[in-house]
Amino acid sequence: MKYLLLAVVVVTLALPPLLPEKQLAVYILLGLAATVTAGVSLLMGYAGQVSLGQAAFYAIGAYAAGLLSVHGVPSLIGLLLAPVIAAVAAVLLGAPLLRLRGHHLAFATLAVQLILLSLLGQGTWAGGAIGLQGIPRLSGLKDDIGYAYVVWAVLAIVLLISRNVVASRAGRALRAAATSETAAAASGVPVGGYRLAVFALSAAFAGLAGGVYAFYLGYLAPGSFPVLLSIEFVVMAVVGGLGTIAGPVVGAAVIVLLVQFLNELGTQPGMPSYAPSVLSYAVYALLLIVAVRYMPKGIVPTARRLASRSSRAAASPSAELLEERA
Amino acid sequence: MAGAALAVTGASRAFGGVYAVRDVDLHVAPGELRAVIGPNGAGKSTLFALIGGQLAPDAGSVELDGVRIDRLAAHRRSRLGVAVVFQAARIFHGLTALENVMVGAHSATRAGFVAGALRLPAHHRAEREIQARALECLALTGLADWACRPAEDLPLGQQRALQLARALCGEPRLLLLDEPASGLRAGEREHLAELLASLRRSGLTMLLVEHDVAFVMRLADQITVLDLGRVIAAGPPAEVRANPEVIAAYLGASA
Repeated sequence: MKYLLLAVVVVTLALPPLLPEKQLAVYILLGLAATVTAGVSLLMGYAGQVSLGQAAFYAIGAYAAGLLSVHGVPSLIGLLLAPVIAAVAAVLLGAPLLRLRGHHLAFATLAVQLILLSLLGQGTWAGGAIGLQGIPRLSGLKDDIGYAYVVWAVLAIVLLISRNVVASRAGRALRAAATSETAAAASGVPVGGYRLAVFALSAAFAGLAGGVYAFYLGYLAPGSFPVLLSIEFVVMAVVGGLGTIAGPVVGAAVIVLLVQFLNELGTQPGMPSYAPSVLSYAVYALLLIVAVRYMPKGIVPTARRLASRSSRAAASPSAELLEERA
Repeated sequence: MAGAALAVTGASRAFGGVYAVRDVDLHVAPGELRAVIGPNGAGKSTLFALIGGQLAPDAGSVELDGVRIDRLAAHRRSRLGVAVVFQAARIFHGLTALENVMVGAHSATRAGFVAGALRLPAHHRAEREIQARALECLALTGLADWACRPAEDLPLGQQRALQLARALCGEPRLLLLDEPASGLRAGEREHLAELLASLRRSGLTMLLVEHDVAFVMRLADQITVLDLGRVIAAGPPAEVRANPEVIAAYLGASA
């Protein structure tokens, strides 16, 4: 397992200079999608909450970073404030929203995103429907290879935080509350407060990714954050495997690369003009059906089970802890 | 483990106009093992939930060492030292037995999200402390061999013991048990009785809600009998057993 992780680290770090410009953009967007999905996975897999509006926090982070830097705030500070602003927004929205459960919460988050999109579309302060232009690049970062490494670092930090939170006292309490709220509360877990904290953390991940996105593209429009994007994040989280740390990365990679491939296929000469959109919608449908039918737990848990059927107990966090102590 | 005093005064709770618990007084001294018995539908579980915080009373008060707790959420009561063993095995699936028990110590520790996310020293200190305590509680309840197994893999009797281990891990001052012996095999029941007796000797205050009269007669210091939501008798086991009203209530329920 350690060698696999090391191999992934080496390969992904070596890749950016070798990629042609177009593929480098895919690398960056994949990393950003995985960052947002890590938050969705934390929310769904460990806190048992579904957000169908995660792209709203991606947008909030992007617009926060973009607007701040357009108004003369140093870009690095804008980037650091993006997750903070997204998290604050999540706390303000989450306080009433998290009283809802299951489908109701999912629809409420979807509504939040629709409202946000219409606000951004109307607001001249945000560039309106035309979009926010003239966002400077991150200070000192001129070429896209630099952004690729920024994204790599952001994703690494987010995954590390996820891993640590899950294995900590707070994460244990969250996982407990996801299976029995009554018993968790009776054990002293403030269930509502903890869910709000995870909601804010997942929004912070999305906001941070949004901040990088703003500086990378230099241009933001409401159209860059469609509802379909939010659903994409959920699909990535589910396909990759909820309740795992690697799941969001695997899910994002599979979906992004597949969509990319289908896009290439759809835009080949001789293909009808509707081919790209038909192919990309069809792939979601097919992939979801295949995933739910054959790997209901997602790619990572299924692969892990196939790899080590015998040592089930050894994979659990507490076994790790025991080993650490010994 | 210094036990706390519990005082329930004039507690009532109705569901759809029907009283499940009506004007109940229950005073438990520190270190006492109090049993609450009664036929099915007597209001035992409702009373239990009013004390544990799963329900709020319509009227009356619940005090722990003179502090009113009846309006507090369950997790706040836990912080004040109230621990609960539910009748159904409400264990945490997907967590190991050890982790289940560690959650029980949630109130006793402070390391939050930030300490956990950044692996601050507070996190490591709290983890070491909780883990050591959780392992002790697992050993105490005979579950040491199950520590690293997923909780849902445990047999039912062990799942119930796991709830008790979890409750004890928070070092409570008042332990509430809702029919902990039901569904246990004879040997498990005997082990539970021994454990409760030893907890009583350590000075923990306990409230044992139980359907099985024989089980509580030898364990409890005092017994309160509920019928149709009201207290019909209270006193030492021998006295309660001889009470004609109690005999009538039980005969009436079983006839």
